[in-house]
Amino acid sequence: MSLVELKNVVKRYGENTVLNGVSLTVEKGEIIAIIGRSGSGKSTMLRCVNGLEPIQGGTVAFNGTVVNDPATDLRKLRQHVGIVFQSFNLFPHLSVEKNITLAPKVVKGVPPAEARALAEAVLRKVGLVEKIEAYPDQLSGGQQQRVAIARSLAMQPQLMLFDEITSALDPELVGEVLKVLEEVAREGMTMMLVTHEIGFARKVANRVVFMHEGKIWEEGPAAKTLGSPRTPELETFLSAVLH
Amino acid sequence: MTYNFQFRDVFAAWEFLLEGLALTLELSLVTMAIGLVIGLAGAAARVYGAPWLKRIVAVYVETIRNTPLIVQLFLIFFGLPSAGLKFDANTAAMIALSINLGAYSIEIIRAGLEAIPRSQIEAGQSLGLSPLQIYRYVIIFPAIKMMFPALSSQFVLLMLATSVVSQISAQDLFHMASIIQSRTFRDFEVYILVAAAYLVLALLFRLAFAGIYQFVFARR
Repeated sequence: MSLVELKNVVKRYGENTVLNGVSLTVEKGEIIAIIGRSGSGKSTMLRCVNGLEPIQGGTVAFNGTVVNDPATDLRKLRQHVGIVFQSFNLFPHLSVEKNITLAPKVVKGVPPAEARALAEAVLRKVGLVEKIEAYPDQLSGGQQQRVAIARSLAMQPQLMLFDEITSALDPELVGEVLKVLEEVAREGMTMMLVTHEIGFARKVANRVVFMHEGKIWEEGPAAKTLGSPRTPELETFLSAVLH
Repeated sequence: MTYNFQFRDVFAAWEFLLEGLALTLELSLVTMAIGLVIGLAGAAARVYGAPWLKRIVAVYVETIRNTPLIVQLFLIFFGLPSAGLKFDANTAAMIALSINLGAYSIEIIRAGLEAIPRSQIEAGQSLGLSPLQIYRYVIIFPAIKMMFPALSSQFVLLMLATSVVSQISAQDLFHMASIIQSRTFRDFEVYILVAAAYLVLALLFRLAFAGIYQFVFARR
């Protein structure tokens, strides 16, 4: 059984069809890079996987559980699916430690001392253990995003979704976040990442998915798909983002 | 036009004033606590509740905010006994004031809730938090922080508005002033003194709220 299975997913906002029959499977341990123009539906597809976006057709399944089934306990499902957002979305009134330990404590019932140790462990992974007492507004964008990754890791998810996590960063801060991503990838995490960093996708992803007009236009092994695009749309897109 | 101020008799009745002050203070504090709870619960219902619940809260808020406090007070103290619900003056005062402050608090806190970006809620949802946990741990603090000035102003206004409860013979500061006035006939002096007492009380409340803000919210 695949970890993630999208079948013919249709998503509309009113008259506007954002996803028009998207099918995709992700195996455990895979790293999928999703690329495409803005408005092509890539972020929307990602947000369907953890049920943040209700869909109008098709099915989304995670680990055999149908995400879009109204009977599904989304809270339980989301404990296994981490997501990191473009704009970090840290809780501004909570310290780095509390940002990380909130969900383990109140959702999983992890005792305070253990939660603190957990926070230290995930912060070590993202190289920010010295910032454990800091508040989000005392951190740079890159640091905030690394904390957001740590917060997500603290729930020990089976799948992580990354939604253009470097797009809101100053160029000189992108590198530190990508480095952390690589580290997470190396540990065998299953990842789906929407990204504009083509070089990074080529280096880290097993598979690349190119979305265009609400559809998966082209997909395949990263090097091959990016190296020799089959469709003129992907070719045009690549030449636009690479120059 | 000269007036010869004579505060001696008025000062002599200080015990009445103190007693009245105590009730005013008690009414204010209890009402603020209840009003805040109504505000937090009502605002959540108004913003995140089911459509029927939103409507009920909206009707409550608009009814209260568009009728005079004294009418609400009379309805509870003089009206409800006809329906078999009888309260003593202090209880009726507390109920009326709480219902009144609750409605204003809902409106203020609602504005705070609506200013919380949707992305904060999504972050909470994505971590597996329940709606109640999101409200409690993610939303309330920033929302109250944002609305704290408006909320504390409303609370001070409420304290001043407690003076209407003298109309149903609750023995607050203003009621005691009338008693002293009828004994001493020193109207000007009595009301100057009472005005000063309300002024001091209001300033103390503002000071306390500023302290709470500094202590609880300003750091974060």
